[in-house]
Amino acid sequence: MIAIESSIAGLISHLAGAIPLLGITDLGINGPSLIAYLINFVLLLGILTLFAYKPLLRVLDQRSERIRESLEAADRAREEAAGSQQVIEDQLNEARREGQRLLEQAREAAARFQEEQMDQARRDAETFVERARSDIQRERDAAVQEVRANFGDLAITAAERVIRRSLDRQAHEELISQVLEEGEQASAGPRA
Amino acid sequence: MPAGAGAKKLLLLAGVGLAVLMLVGFIFGAIGSAMFGTDQFLEKPEIHLSPQPVYPASTRNESLHLDDHTVELYSEAREQGKEKEEAAEEAGIHFEPLSASKFAVTNTLISAWFATIVIILFFVLGSRKRSIVPGRLQAVIEFLYEGVLGFCSSVLGPEMARRAFPVIATIFFFVLFNAWLALLPIYQFVGFVFDGEIKAHFLKSAGTDLNMPLALALISFVFVEYYGLRAHGLGYFKKFFAFGKLLRGKPSGLIDVFVGFLEGVSELVRVVSFTFRLFGNMTAGEILVIMITFLVPFVATQFVFGLELLVGLIQAVIFASLTVVFLSVAIRHEEH
Repeated sequence: MIAIESSIAGLISHLAGAIPLLGITDLGINGPSLIAYLINFVLLLGILTLFAYKPLLRVLDQRSERIRESLEAADRAREEAAGSQQVIEDQLNEARREGQRLLEQAREAAARFQEEQMDQARRDAETFVERARSDIQRERDAAVQEVRANFGDLAITAAERVIRRSLDRQAHEELISQVLEEGEQASAGPRA
Repeated sequence: MPAGAGAKKLLLLAGVGLAVLMLVGFIFGAIGSAMFGTDQFLEKPEIHLSPQPVYPASTRNESLHLDDHTVELYSEAREQGKEKEEAAEEAGIHFEPLSASKFAVTNTLISAWFATIVIILFFVLGSRKRSIVPGRLQAVIEFLYEGVLGFCSSVLGPEMARRAFPVIATIFFFVLFNAWLALLPIYQFVGFVFDGEIKAHFLKSAGTDLNMPLALALISFVFVEYYGLRAHGLGYFKKFFAFGKLLRGKPSGLIDVFVGFLEGVSELVRVVSFTFRLFGNMTAGEILVIMITFLVPFVATQFVFGLELLVGLIQAVIFASLTVVFLSVAIRHEEH
């Protein structure tokens, strides 16, 4: 029995020797080393996580937060600026409208004033013409009165002369035209 | 930098200098020594897939088979005029990986601690001031955070991204810093010397230690399954054990059972693929840097460094983003 076992062991060792590539220790597999590497890695992981990854990732987060905030602030400021721009625009428009209105008012007032002045002038002119007309009437009436008065005298004078002269036809006509001429001269005289 | 013709001259001079240096490197590198018989500038590097224990010293010596007996045999062999390599072989001095259950501080573990400290200093110092208007360092860190957080958000949505961020970011930065810091020359020239040769480096890129990608993969796995469970409750397991239809007597339920089985397997295979993707890339990078340095000691390495910077970034992105994607699949509510 022992002989068989030892021969099997011998065979195995013989085979192992014949296939040296199978010797895993030749590649350096070593339990304690493996455990050492595992511990080493876990320690490294822990230290880095605590002292390097977490703090710096937090910084990265803070920074992206900060960037986001400042972008938002910039957006807000831009919106505000746009808003105030709108307000200014509105005010300008309002002012423009107000100016337009004032101008319109002034123009209206001027037109009204002109109209009034025109009316006034027309009225003045009419008054003046009226007065002139009545003056003329009066003058004419006075002249007619005077002519009428003078004509009576003239007729009497003419009649005197008619009577004094012989009443021939020719003399008669001469007399009449003479009287008329004198009468015309008399009536024209005060007018001239 | 002077302007115009002066700058051009300086650039030309630098170019010529670099070309000469590269030529010298080529001649005194491994290729040149094979072609022209020149003395090699560097000795042939020893490449180990597994990390080396460095503390305690007894474990280190044990894994290198350095004890009174072997050292004595070695010095005897050396006295007989044998080469270092031959003597070591004769004395039985060779590196043997740590057994799977034995604890020791390995050089990869030290480099992982180193990276951890650098990460903590970088991030904790950078986020110490926490001002709304960031300084330079804080701005860089915030840029990194926002990159990771932005990616998480695009896949998981803002709320879940916030919760997943610490784990995803830590995975990303841990992989990235480990890969990039491993390009520092200190990783190559500081170690424990025996007979003028570095037998065990003090630092070794943590990604080249299978345990580190495995630990990350397990964390990613647990993280994903935890949130999957939180999102679906116990119903989450229905995805893997889809017996519902079969129990109702429908034979087509067999397909569901099979699909559930596949889901479960793929979930577990992720751990393996996560592990070996990172391990493979980091190991390949390390070997590439070592080999190019050995072949052409100067200048040529710079190109590899550039490549490795890119690879480190890509691996960090892949590890983190795959975790995010798996998480998004796990928490997604299927529409029925």
